[in-house]
Amino acid sequence: MSKNNIGLQALAVTFSMFQVGSTTLFFLGSQAKQDAWLAMLLGAAAGLLLLAMYLGIHHLDARYDLYELNKVYFGKIIGSIFGLAFIAYFTYEASRNLRDLSELTVATLLNRTPLSVVAAIALLVIANCVRYGPKINFLTCIALLPIMILGYGSLVVLILTTGVAHFEFMQPILENGFKPVWDAAIPEIISFPFGQAVLFLAFFSLVTDKKNLNKAMTLTYCGVAILLTLFNQLIVLVLGPELAAICTYPLLEVVQIIQMTRVFERADALFTLILFIGIGTKAILFYAGAVIGLQRIAWLKYKIWVIPLGIVIYAVSFISPTYTEFVWIGLHLTVTKVWPIFQMALPALLFVVMLLRKKKRAEGGSKSGG
Amino acid sequence: MFQLLRLLLGFSRQINQNRNRPAHSGQTSLPTDIQPGALPVDLEDKISHLQNRMGGSSDFVIRKISSSSSAGPAIAISYIEGLVDIHRLSIIMEALVNSSRNELGDSLRAEGWIKEHLPVGSIHMLHTENHLLRSVLGGNAVLMIDGLRTAFSANIAGGARRSVEEPSSQTVIRGPKEGFTEDIAVNLALLRRKIRSPDLRLESRILGRYTQTQVTVAYIKGVANPEVVQEISSRLDSIHTDSILESGYIEEFIQDGVISPFPTLYNTERPDTVAGGLLEGLVAVFVDGTPFALIAPVTFFRFIASSEDYYQRYDISSFLRLVRFAAFFVALLLPAVFIATTTFQQEMLPTTLLITLAAQRENTPLPALMEALIMELTFDLIREAGVRMPRAVGPAISIVGALVLGQAAVQAGIVSAAMVIVVSFTAICNFVLPAINMSASIRLLRFMLMILAGNFGLFGILAGIIPILLHLTSLQSFGIPYMMPLAPFKFANFKDLFFRAPWWKMKNRPELIGKENMQRAADEPAAYAEKAVDHKRDSLK
Repeated sequence: MSKNNIGLQALAVTFSMFQVGSTTLFFLGSQAKQDAWLAMLLGAAAGLLLLAMYLGIHHLDARYDLYELNKVYFGKIIGSIFGLAFIAYFTYEASRNLRDLSELTVATLLNRTPLSVVAAIALLVIANCVRYGPKINFLTCIALLPIMILGYGSLVVLILTTGVAHFEFMQPILENGFKPVWDAAIPEIISFPFGQAVLFLAFFSLVTDKKNLNKAMTLTYCGVAILLTLFNQLIVLVLGPELAAICTYPLLEVVQIIQMTRVFERADALFTLILFIGIGTKAILFYAGAVIGLQRIAWLKYKIWVIPLGIVIYAVSFISPTYTEFVWIGLHLTVTKVWPIFQMALPALLFVVMLLRKKKRAEGGSKSGG
Repeated sequence: MFQLLRLLLGFSRQINQNRNRPAHSGQTSLPTDIQPGALPVDLEDKISHLQNRMGGSSDFVIRKISSSSSAGPAIAISYIEGLVDIHRLSIIMEALVNSSRNELGDSLRAEGWIKEHLPVGSIHMLHTENHLLRSVLGGNAVLMIDGLRTAFSANIAGGARRSVEEPSSQTVIRGPKEGFTEDIAVNLALLRRKIRSPDLRLESRILGRYTQTQVTVAYIKGVANPEVVQEISSRLDSIHTDSILESGYIEEFIQDGVISPFPTLYNTERPDTVAGGLLEGLVAVFVDGTPFALIAPVTFFRFIASSEDYYQRYDISSFLRLVRFAAFFVALLLPAVFIATTTFQQEMLPTTLLITLAAQRENTPLPALMEALIMELTFDLIREAGVRMPRAVGPAISIVGALVLGQAAVQAGIVSAAMVIVVSFTAICNFVLPAINMSASIRLLRFMLMILAGNFGLFGILAGIIPILLHLTSLQSFGIPYMMPLAPFKFANFKDLFFRAPWWKMKNRPELIGKENMQRAADEPAAYAEKAVDHKRDSLK
């Protein structure tokens, strides 16, 4: 019972929370303006192909996680280098989430507390979570899911019932043709958030019940993609495309516009906590994925690796001097130039190598058999 | 002396039924006739040996019935004053004095004679001095006969005991009003009266080198998970201690070895709670000398439920259960949220309320966090005083608590009225929880969350809750995840979680705790009768 295995339920729930993660913090597809929802759906559809590839990689050799696959199929040296590259990628993503979380805290909840203190506390909490190992993290996600559903569900209900949504903001559809939608979606929206599912290659091998893995992952993915599109579009409906594109935290602006008189003057502080849960989950999972990788590459215990990696994450999160630059790197630079390497090129290479090896093995098997 | 204790311990192991013995108890397999400390033949020798061993304790009585040639060999009866039932003792004495004892020449005939002449239910033959002493200390009268290497014990345990009363710690409005007592035999009988099935199994062992306390594991065979029974038994066997005075000792020894503020065993004074637990597949541990029995494995949600939930109408008890869940969160979070909102996130409050609060706080000297900490500590002091104080001074404490620390403190401008309301509401919510050990852990965590909230607002509260939640998810009680059925998610168990489904809806026992025999409602009553017959047949073999 204490074994490090993950049930399918926990995997699906965690995957959905991971996908929601920090996505709702930003307005995605701002280039497409009121057609952001089309861009989101396009990005999600392309992301589904990536997910299919990740699942394909896993099913070709279900015994291993991402790092072991790299080692087995690329050889020890190249595999380790690729593994380290993935560790660096996951570490950087975790540090991004940490920075997002701390900036959000400083902006909304704790105006006078220094960013470094907030980040340190957040990192302590996150590292403590990672220390328990992936199994407990995944289980905890199940316990947190009701809070997320309650938060986002009541947000949707309130937006639709208080009459702050203006459906005319969605029109005209495809005002400037299909090109802005395509530009917004590819590769930005694929890389963030959908392509980040590559992380789960590190966790698939821990799942015990693999019979319905494809179905569960695909259904979860589709459901979450539609929900994310909905939230993204709600921002447009409430704020309008122009305002949505320039807000730092558009969804929080939306929450502030909703007013339930005499109950909560401003519910955005509470909603920030919901956002925290999503961002925190994402940070924890990236962190855990990187720790699993370090554990595979250098044979030290999982719990020991948590500490040095935490220090690295903390340091890396302060590389960008301003939040504006940080967001620009995250939403514009890396998504087009860097993330596709990790989310598409390397997995595709791995997939091809695995297929070739399998074919070779099959031929070799038939030869020896015949 | 140490030798003796080891022997006593060895003997205690011998009588327990458990198969999973640790390696060190191998010494118990010595044949009885070559055991050291065998009884001397001569009666006077026996008496002097015993007197020596007991150090001439004043409550240790040896009554010699002198021999005469016609009446057979001399005999002596020894017992501890106060541990035996005087009435039955006098009956035995009478039988011994009045009948002819010519047949007491050898052990076998003597046993026959005693069983025939003494009106006592349980009579055992004893071979060694240690057995004899244990028997005397356990409340038996021991019969020693001149010329025999054996002695006989007659169980006439009695003496002053508290009778069965209404439990003082877990009261209900509807439901049985009897509670356990300090006598384990009475407690087990109370349980037997609730579950009249041959499948109710009781396994006893003696723990504690000095206290020699009887500890009994109770479970229903075929319902309880055998692995859990095995685990509890082996953990009990690995206890090495001088003394077991209360089930709290056992709880700390056998609970899953993590540092945690949360209890992983449920303690109760109520036979119906124990019976209900056993019928769900749990295992109970009774300890002699305390009215509190332990139930394991338990999940977090059992501490929110009350046995009364199952006696009242399901809609009412579902509502009450939800109220209790709300109370749990209020007791844990209310002071922290109050501190966070008044100190950091004032914008969350409605403007009118904010103005009222601000006007109150204007006169108070301390920051909200300090004020809350002081008030909470004060309340804990009052509560502690309420438990310890003599009954006669009760009203004095209530006056001090209610007037001086409440109204007068507010009027004097030392604390704000809102804070008094928050603290007292929290205290009330804390008492709503039926399990005292759970509300105690909330009390501890509340302070932690208050300090975090006072320094970091809502962010601090979240930073406090997430580790608590992770800790809860990682906890296990005898292999069962503590947050079952929420994480891992088991929808079937939700029938008896936040709501209680009506009994006719709960056909199955909760999953994972009782794996074996999931059906709770017997579709064919014949099945049970058949099983009972099978058991009888088995026991006859």
